[in-house]
Amino acid sequence: MPADFEDDSATDDTALIARFGGHGIDRDSAAHFRGRLERRLLIHRCDDCGRWHHPPRPMCPACWSWNITPTEVSGRGRIHLLMTLHQGPPASGVDYADGHPVVTVELEEQPALRFTSTVADGFPTDRLEIGTPVTLEWVDRDGTPTPVFGLGEDG
Amino acid sequence: MTNRDPMKDQVAIVGLGSTGFTRNGDESPLAMALRAATEAITDAGLTAADIDGVVATSEPAAKGPEEIAAALGITEATHHAKPSPVAMFSLLDAARAVFSGAADNVLIVTPVVMGPWNSRRAAADPWRAGTRSSILPIPEDATKAAAYAAWAGRYIHEHGATKDPFARIAINSRTNAANNPLAAVTEPLSFGMYDAGRMIRDPLNIYDMDLPVDGADAFVLTTAERGREIASAQGREAVLIHAATTGIVGKNDEDQLVGLDRTGQHVVVEQLRRTSDIWIDDIDLFYPYEGFTIITLAWFENVGFCPPGGAEDFLREHWNDDAQRLEISGRVLVNTHGGSLSEGATRGTGHIREAVHQLRGTAGDRQVDGAQSALVTPGGFFFNPQGAFLRRG
Ligand SMILES: [Zn+2]
Repeated sequence: MPADFEDDSATDDTALIARFGGHGIDRDSAAHFRGRLERRLLIHRCDDCGRWHHPPRPMCPACWSWNITPTEVSGRGRIHLLMTLHQGPPASGVDYADGHPVVTVELEEQPALRFTSTVADGFPTDRLEIGTPVTLEWVDRDGTPTPVFGLGEDG
Repeated sequence: MTNRDPMKDQVAIVGLGSTGFTRNGDESPLAMALRAATEAITDAGLTAADIDGVVATSEPAAKGPEEIAAALGITEATHHAKPSPVAMFSLLDAARAVFSGAADNVLIVTPVVMGPWNSRRAAADPWRAGTRSSILPIPEDATKAAAYAAWAGRYIHEHGATKDPFARIAINSRTNAANNPLAAVTEPLSFGMYDAGRMIRDPLNIYDMDLPVDGADAFVLTTAERGREIASAQGREAVLIHAATTGIVGKNDEDQLVGLDRTGQHVVVEQLRRTSDIWIDDIDLFYPYEGFTIITLAWFENVGFCPPGGAEDFLREHWNDDAQRLEISGRVLVNTHGGSLSEGATRGTGHIREAVHQLRGTAGDRQVDGAQSALVTPGGFFFNPQGAFLRRG
């Protein structure tokens, strides 16, 4: 990997695709992944009706507006889906021997607007359950900022 | 939503072919497809010259309809298509071709092939090295297969369910597979073995997930009129597609689905309600998909055997403890061939094949005497829920 790889991928399409190819990146999700490089979780939001949607698409499914702005979310939400992987694709820092949690978090911005990731190291195991409030954190995975969830505040 | 159903009882399934299914396959996908196809065409009393439609599912590594046509020596075809995997995309495509007059005798071939991503043995096979999966190579993904574990956890959370009903689906399939010579795995499965099963994606373990296999099914469809002639010549019952549909909800990205209370399964069931004269009290056999056991629990609930969350009680009440299998009301058997969990991951073609065998009276040791109608419900929650009532006719 060239030394300037990290610097280029914020602007250069080829470098961005190389970095996030495993995520199925395409033109419509490019802004979302560029946001990750700045440690900002950008979700597509419609300028006309205000509705959010994910995964990123070029047109608002609620009103057919093409005025879409990738917009930073608060990062707060609750665990909606939870599974623990005991096998899976190899990834830096992921150990399946103890089980790797995957959480789908319902973001506070809109009902059924969800983002899937894992939890931060040290997440209390007794709170790893559906309904637990969480908040966005960023960790480094092979030099790429990666959104994960830490324990949020009850309330 | 449409109430029109001019295709009702107008298309017959007249040919069946299957290689059987194995964890140790050493044939090409084309070879398996051709074994099943030639068997199905012969079973229908037809030859290559009679086939004027070819439908080949777009499985990884599978050949398209044009190559199947060439390999079978078909003269000409006026319908050819390559639908998505999961059985009824192909069944409906072929049926609609027959009904519309696009073709008279349509062949469906549906090979399934183990891939490097779902089998260690397949990963070591150089002939499969180029076969690609659409599954993303990242752990934090709740789409595709992983979505079923995520939603199984949600189902357990919402209904306070235990793993007991999941176990019954797996054990029922294994018990029934014992009488199916096509099945990949036939060793009996006990509740203790299920509980000790290797956890893959908690809450789903190895026994909750269908079995990657090599093999192929094939079908021949024709008009109901010609189907009756063929059945009569062969001393069998004709089998007709009475009502059939696929269904999705619009918001169907796996981790964005609003909830299990509104999935494509509900769309399928409501469409069948509008079009079928047969309902669940009438059927003799039920073939709910069990690519993952959670899918089957949902089908039981959504077709109306029990309310949401009621599968646990229902499956316990309708369990034959001596036989170690489901017998709905002591009468209706479920996945008599062993399903995707034990016959092998056919994406529902096994469910349809077995239903047709039962209805036409060629199910061998598994035959349910006098079976008149069956409900087959392939597919999961998101992109591929499907259902059909098949009947003698
Ligand atoms: Zn809008």
